[in-house]
Amino acid sequence: MGEKYAVIGKSVPKIDGRAKVTGQAKYTGDLKLPNLLVGKILTSPHAHARIISIDTTEAEKLPGVKAVITHKDVPTLKYGISPARWDESIFCSDKVRFVGDKVAAVAALDDETVYKALKLIKVDYEVLPAVFDPEEAIKEGAPQIHDEYARNINTEIHQNFGDVDKAFAEAHHLRTDRFVGNRTYQCPIEPHSAISIWEGGKLTVYSSTQSPHYFQHYIAREFGLKMGDVRVIKTYVGGGFGGKLEPTGLEFAGAVLSKITGRPVKMFYDRHEMFAHNRGRHKQIMEITTSVDKNGKITGVYANFMMDGGAYTSLGIATAYYAGAMLPLTYEFVNFKFDMIRAYTNLPACGAQRGHGAPQPRYAFECHLDNVAADLGMDPIELRLINARQPNTVTPNDFAVNSCELTECITKAKEISGWVQKKGNLPSGKGIGIGVGSFVSGAGYPIYRTNLPHASAIIKVHEDGTAATLYTGATDIGQGSDTVLCQMAAEAMGFRYENMKIVAADTETTPHDFGAYASRQTLMSGSAVKQAGEEVKGQMLELASEMMEVEVSDLDCRDSIVFSLSDPEKAMPFGEVAREFFVRKGPLVGKGSYAPPKLGGTFKGAAVGTSPAYSFAAQISEVEIDEETGEIDVKDVWDVHDCGMVINPGLLHAQVHGALYMGMGESIWEQVLFDDKGKILNPNLGEYRMPTAMDMPRITSELVESYEPAGPWGVKEVGEGATIPTMGCYANAIYDAMGIRVNSLPLSYEKVWRALKEKKEKEKA
Amino acid sequence: MYLPDFEYHMPATIQEACALLAEKGQVAKVLAGGTDLLNKMKHGLVAPAVLISLKQLEQLSNIEYEEGKGVLIGARATHNAICNSKLLQEKYLSICEAAHHMANNQIRNVGTIGGNISNAVPSADLPPILMALDASITLVGTKGERVMALEEFFVGPGKTLLAPDEIIAQIVIPDQSCTGSTYIKFGLRRSGALAVVGVAVAVTMDGNVCKDARIVLGAVAPVPMRAPKAEAMIIGKAISDDLLEEVGVCASTECKPIDDIRGSAEYRRDMVRVFTKRALRKAINEGHV
Ligand SMILES: Cc1cc2nc3c(=O)[nH]c(=O)nc-3n(C[C@H](O)[C@H](O)[C@H](O)COP(=O)(O)OP(=O)(O)OC[C@H]3O[C@@H](n4cnc5c(N)ncnc54)[C@H](O)[C@@H]3O)c2cc1C
Repeated sequence: MGEKYAVIGKSVPKIDGRAKVTGQAKYTGDLKLPNLLVGKILTSPHAHARIISIDTTEAEKLPGVKAVITHKDVPTLKYGISPARWDESIFCSDKVRFVGDKVAAVAALDDETVYKALKLIKVDYEVLPAVFDPEEAIKEGAPQIHDEYARNINTEIHQNFGDVDKAFAEAHHLRTDRFVGNRTYQCPIEPHSAISIWEGGKLTVYSSTQSPHYFQHYIAREFGLKMGDVRVIKTYVGGGFGGKLEPTGLEFAGAVLSKITGRPVKMFYDRHEMFAHNRGRHKQIMEITTSVDKNGKITGVYANFMMDGGAYTSLGIATAYYAGAMLPLTYEFVNFKFDMIRAYTNLPACGAQRGHGAPQPRYAFECHLDNVAADLGMDPIELRLINARQPNTVTPNDFAVNSCELTECITKAKEISGWVQKKGNLPSGKGIGIGVGSFVSGAGYPIYRTNLPHASAIIKVHEDGTAATLYTGATDIGQGSDTVLCQMAAEAMGFRYENMKIVAADTETTPHDFGAYASRQTLMSGSAVKQAGEEVKGQMLELASEMMEVEVSDLDCRDSIVFSLSDPEKAMPFGEVAREFFVRKGPLVGKGSYAPPKLGGTFKGAAVGTSPAYSFAAQISEVEIDEETGEIDVKDVWDVHDCGMVINPGLLHAQVHGALYMGMGESIWEQVLFDDKGKILNPNLGEYRMPTAMDMPRITSELVESYEPAGPWGVKEVGEGATIPTMGCYANAIYDAMGIRVNSLPLSYEKVWRALKEKKEKEKA
Repeated sequence: MYLPDFEYHMPATIQEACALLAEKGQVAKVLAGGTDLLNKMKHGLVAPAVLISLKQLEQLSNIEYEEGKGVLIGARATHNAICNSKLLQEKYLSICEAAHHMANNQIRNVGTIGGNISNAVPSADLPPILMALDASITLVGTKGERVMALEEFFVGPGKTLLAPDEIIAQIVIPDQSCTGSTYIKFGLRRSGALAVVGVAVAVTMDGNVCKDARIVLGAVAPVPMRAPKAEAMIIGKAISDDLLEEVGVCASTECKPIDDIRGSAEYRRDMVRVFTKRALRKAINEGHV
């Protein structure tokens, strides 16, 4: 019993590992129910068009078709995940706004009939001029996408902290750079799907979701149902990365089809439709100006950004705010100005993708900072160390930072990567670069306004004490929250992890939780679970004190054994006490809930980016560039994280690897491409190139000692934070290798080749 | 995405298959591994009313050596069968390597050499190395059999000299006098990427002097193409880095690439320079065919 903790801090096996690797785990698309119908949505072939008429008669006549619905058959109430802009409809009634916009839906006996029926629906369109570029979209006279939003401005932000003008006027050095990001898509391996069952007054939806709660909330709102009459059940989910946070349309259409037919309806998106539904990364156009003093201390930053939001809002307002809000978190500066326009375009709607609005601005800022370092003749790491955020500080935009080991992360990354020996000494074509980042451990405020606690949990001990079940609304989408929450429950109870069971993410059987986004669950759901576990333990020890005739204060419980602290020989199995508890007092249950303290300032948008705690990370990479082809070979990555206390090191490092994988894809390969009519050119995994195992570098994932007072046992996040530094880190390594700067993502082979060519031509001239 | 309706046939002999093709006419298509055809059908790009599967034509899967003819690869041989063929590994490792770098394992398990050729996609990986090794193909139709140099088979993207009632039965690789051959595919990631540029070469070396060379470029013209000027430039010369660079430059002026989502014409042209040079060097240095 030498170790401080019995269960946490250990790489216990994933609770669902066996089910997943054996194929036993059932995803929504795998479920079969009696009388199940198959449904599918008909989408628009045009980027912008007026709907003149929709004729469904032929489709209805097709044998096997059970229902065909259009805007006439569904509620007209607009929806969206952001309450500030509800701009989506279940089906378009007047106009379609992108290739893939929802027009009608069919339910039929089987897949084949559904696809045939879709082809029989005749829609007459009057094609309208469309706009695909945010800079064009906001010009006078550009095609108007939503009548309510003049010049296609979806969100406009102007924030100003301190006195940037003064800082710039007094600058030792001032520099402006412009960078352009790219549209990427989450590409979860499991396609979105939903099974809707509308029976009597009750709607049940099995869904591939990151948040049963938000689904329940918005589905109930759309149909005017009571929350209690809508049950959302998450099945196993094959990844979300932000793309499954909001209802997809499958749930709405499926619900109506189920209501009409009186049968359960399964709906899904195929890979192509997933790309069209999107909600992936926004493309940002980022102009950054920074002033520094003679020591390299940042005195002011002006971020002037624009983003392509696509045809609808999705979570984009928050994305737009995040883009600026996270900048002054990583480095310390007090003068900060942020302007942002999120423009509507006739492209698929963008939303929250791992790291939300932060990764592209971080890429821009990390590159920009290396440029500043070069201007000053400083080592990029020196410049970062001078400016790195410190613990117990407050950002200009009012985020209170408790624990922060960024300096230690950078120092350690420098050490383990061999930076000092390598920097400036690598052979031609090889380079080393650094990028750092930081992220929230849970959003300080929920997506819609409510005073519900953010997380809650119930633990019920089995009658004979041999097992305990954790009931939580927390949502495991592959990242492993079911596992770490069970570890936390077991630790708090003094129970064995192996005997934990979990029922999660079912709005009817599990208590409320906002779900998997903003890297919130380890800290927030974990807090609720810890409280519930401690409540169980308290009740146990009280009874054990009677049974064992030992003072409660002298009792503890660990590894399912209750024992006397002063005389550990005096012990009793957890099960025996728990069983007796049930006999004497009924169910042994513990409850917990978590709400963050009031966070943040009062300015417009102050809520976005608030969090009880922030994670920090430094990444260094070594790349080799093929000077003739521009091919980028990432050789090594060293990632050092400050994520507080670690509950499960195996899962934590897996998150780092996965996040790095995504960051790497966005850095070098991934980009959704469109033709001049707004049609996606690469809606498949062949031409939308995510890295393969063969493209991955050697990864060294390390941690620094850290304890976060706001988190249970000192935890923070890792899921998203690890994606953030990567793009800047690679861009800087390429810069180091070749002396060239590619100012747009992805840093494709061809762009590197072109930049090298231009450099050579310049040198010749 | 859903397959449209079609009539399905699984003839027992190649003659029967050809007769069916003749009978059904333009609406019929041959089905081999289906990795290309079924995909296109699902996406609504083609909608053949009749599919004639080669599944039962076992003999079309053989890979064997016939004295006087050379190595015969049945059109239904899958990419993995080619990778794993002992015969090919011994005689033409470069073909195995080309097949190994295609697609991914699942596709290689079902995709066939005949399909890869018939498809006539400019970026297809097998035609360049087969052309570099002077392969010919045997076409079987209702009127009998004909043999054609693979080089002459391609007409344009998706277009070949295959008659409507014909099937590719086998690919013939004649005995070689070359000392080295290779195919380098340049794709935009390490696996599962189509070629931006593919270069196949076969060289006959005598000491440091190149006696003969064939250079074939993929993905940079409507069809896989020979680079005759580049070939002429290297034949009879002693190999040097400068010469290889010049040959690369020459090949890059011969190709006719277009812009597409994988790369610009300008990039492709320069990659032809780079990979012609690299392929020649590899074929010369590694010295296997
Ligand atoms: C994910 C993916 C990755 C791929 N990657 C690559 C790659 O890296 N490199 C590459 O070159 N290709 C690639 N392909 C394309 C394709 O898999 C190959 O071209 C494959 O060899 C096609 O063979 P098949 O047997 O599947 O052809 P099928 O799809 O069965 O047929 C293709 C065409 O050829 C015709 N045909 C087939 N066999 C014959 C025959 N014997 N006689 C006459 N006509 C015939 C068919 O009628 C059809 O028109 C990829 C495909 C996919 C889906």
